[in-house]
Amino acid sequence: MEKKREVDTDELLRLLFMESSLDNFMTRDNSDILFPSFPDYINSLSDKRGEPPAKIISRANLDKSYGHQIFRGIRHPSRDTVLQLAFGFELDFATTQTLLKIARHTLLHPRVKRDMVIIFCLQHHYSIVETQIALDEYDLPLLGGKGNDRQ
Amino acid sequence: MIGNKSEMDKIIEGTFSEYGYPEDFLAEYDQLECLSGRSGRETFLCKKKGSEELVVAKCFSGAFYDNAVEEPVVREYDVPGIPHFIKSYRNDSYVCVIREYIPGKPLSEVVKERDLTQDEILEICGKLGDILIRLHSQEPQIVHRDIKPENVILKEDGSVFLIDLDIARTVKPEGDSDTYFFGTKGYAPPEQYGFSQTDERADIYSFGVLLRFLITGSIRENKNIKIYRPIEKIITRCTAFSPEKRYPNMKAVKRDLSAINPRSIMLRKIGIGAAVLCVCAAISFGSIRLYQYLTYSPFGEGSVPGYVSDDEMVRQAVAYMEDTYGTDLFQDPDDFATVGFLRTILVELYGFDPDYVWGMNDDMPRESEEFFLPWGFEDSRFLDRDIAVYAAVKLHDPAIVADWSELRDDNGYYPGVRVAEAFAKKNGIMEGVNKPRDITKGETALILYNAELTFSGKDQG
Repeated sequence: MEKKREVDTDELLRLLFMESSLDNFMTRDNSDILFPSFPDYINSLSDKRGEPPAKIISRANLDKSYGHQIFRGIRHPSRDTVLQLAFGFELDFATTQTLLKIARHTLLHPRVKRDMVIIFCLQHHYSIVETQIALDEYDLPLLGGKGNDRQ
Repeated sequence: MIGNKSEMDKIIEGTFSEYGYPEDFLAEYDQLECLSGRSGRETFLCKKKGSEELVVAKCFSGAFYDNAVEEPVVREYDVPGIPHFIKSYRNDSYVCVIREYIPGKPLSEVVKERDLTQDEILEICGKLGDILIRLHSQEPQIVHRDIKPENVILKEDGSVFLIDLDIARTVKPEGDSDTYFFGTKGYAPPEQYGFSQTDERADIYSFGVLLRFLITGSIRENKNIKIYRPIEKIITRCTAFSPEKRYPNMKAVKRDLSAINPRSIMLRKIGIGAAVLCVCAAISFGSIRLYQYLTYSPFGEGSVPGYVSDDEMVRQAVAYMEDTYGTDLFQDPDDFATVGFLRTILVELYGFDPDYVWGMNDDMPRESEEFFLPWGFEDSRFLDRDIAVYAAVKLHDPAIVADWSELRDDNGYYPGVRVAEAFAKKNGIMEGVNKPRDITKGETALILYNAELTFSGKDQG
């Protein structure tokens, strides 16, 4: 079996910004790239921050046992859950996109009003609660709300 | 709490109103995700406000109006196999077409997760052919022009849907040519790159490429891959360079496709017959082994030598797995393996979906397509050799373990496992792992390694 090339975060970001557009990045042939698995990636993120997953999970306002299952790789998170984790890690916009990409979800897109509010909140370091309030003020579905997930 | 509200309003409301999507569309639907963001024709996943109904909205800017034929197609004819049309919204700059959201997986994802059997491929392509026949027989005729694995959705119940009709025919003749570069490289027929009018034979070409991709894993012709002759003939005729040499219409393709089925079923029956013979042979041949298996006791005199695994082979397999997958999962090869360990391997090394691997039901002992190990095994349970063998065989060819229906002596005890075991004995997958219960991590590596050798057709050693 052919060995795949593992790409670390920095290289991923470089690839992302070398492409002239997001579309090119999303549609280019990525078959030779092996992204780190989602649990590996978030565990390394929490190592880098020097915080245990429990702290991230509580800051992301996620259910404790569900959060730990995600960190252990037992459950695959929905797109909303990945976004909540981004707030748990206090990520910036670019790293949030990487997180979504690794979780195999669609990226935040400025043509989606809800995504735009979320991008704004990430850039301005809003907490998850502040973000939910902002979403509510624009009458948009809250993160983790019912029926926001495909399948 | 929010100090930047006015700045936020400026950015969000300001930018957003500039896009110019129809107000009534935004009033009725919340956009959730941007599924495709090519400028001028964006596709959104949306949720109807105040409900949990998911829909797909395609928004075409003015330049694409004439190509947005999806609405009349779906509304007037409501073709089965194309998502239902719900509503459309218009203003001066945009038309947004709302269709039902089809939950399921695109074929492009399905083939990443598992190999489809030839019968499955023929069934899917048969259903896709029916959809195309219906599309092509509309008045005026509709040609999809972008048939590719990404646009064919397989629902869990096995039904097939064709999505993404937005580049269907009726090109504005005065449009400048580069605006209308349509189709997908590799799947689009030669004439679609030029100016000549495309008709249903364009879809037939793409259909042929799709069929080749599903059978061989590549969209290009590869002389090294042997294709079942009748299928190869269909592919060749679908993908002829000149439209005149292709099938005249989709019905003709479907007729040839359907003609394959009886023969392939017959071949399968012969195959099953052979498998049953192998199982019987293995059972009678291995009756002494079976006796040893049943009377196995680690404390019994003389029983130990028969069950000590081949250390050298285990070491080699562990080294191979570590090398090939860059994993350290096998760093304690003498530890007992658990079912949880096996599941971790399946997800991390072989890229299976965790839900598929960790899902389980208690309706023992039937095999299932829904879950990798369908039985209600706890993660902490020590791993048996036959479960590891089942996994090793299933991950390379799910069809082998799924097809146990002809087992003559089916006594309901994990029939797929017994088929896998018989297959493994015959092909050397169990070689070197001599004990049936509580195998180690290293022995698990050896089983997986042997299976890789067997399925890649290489010689051992």
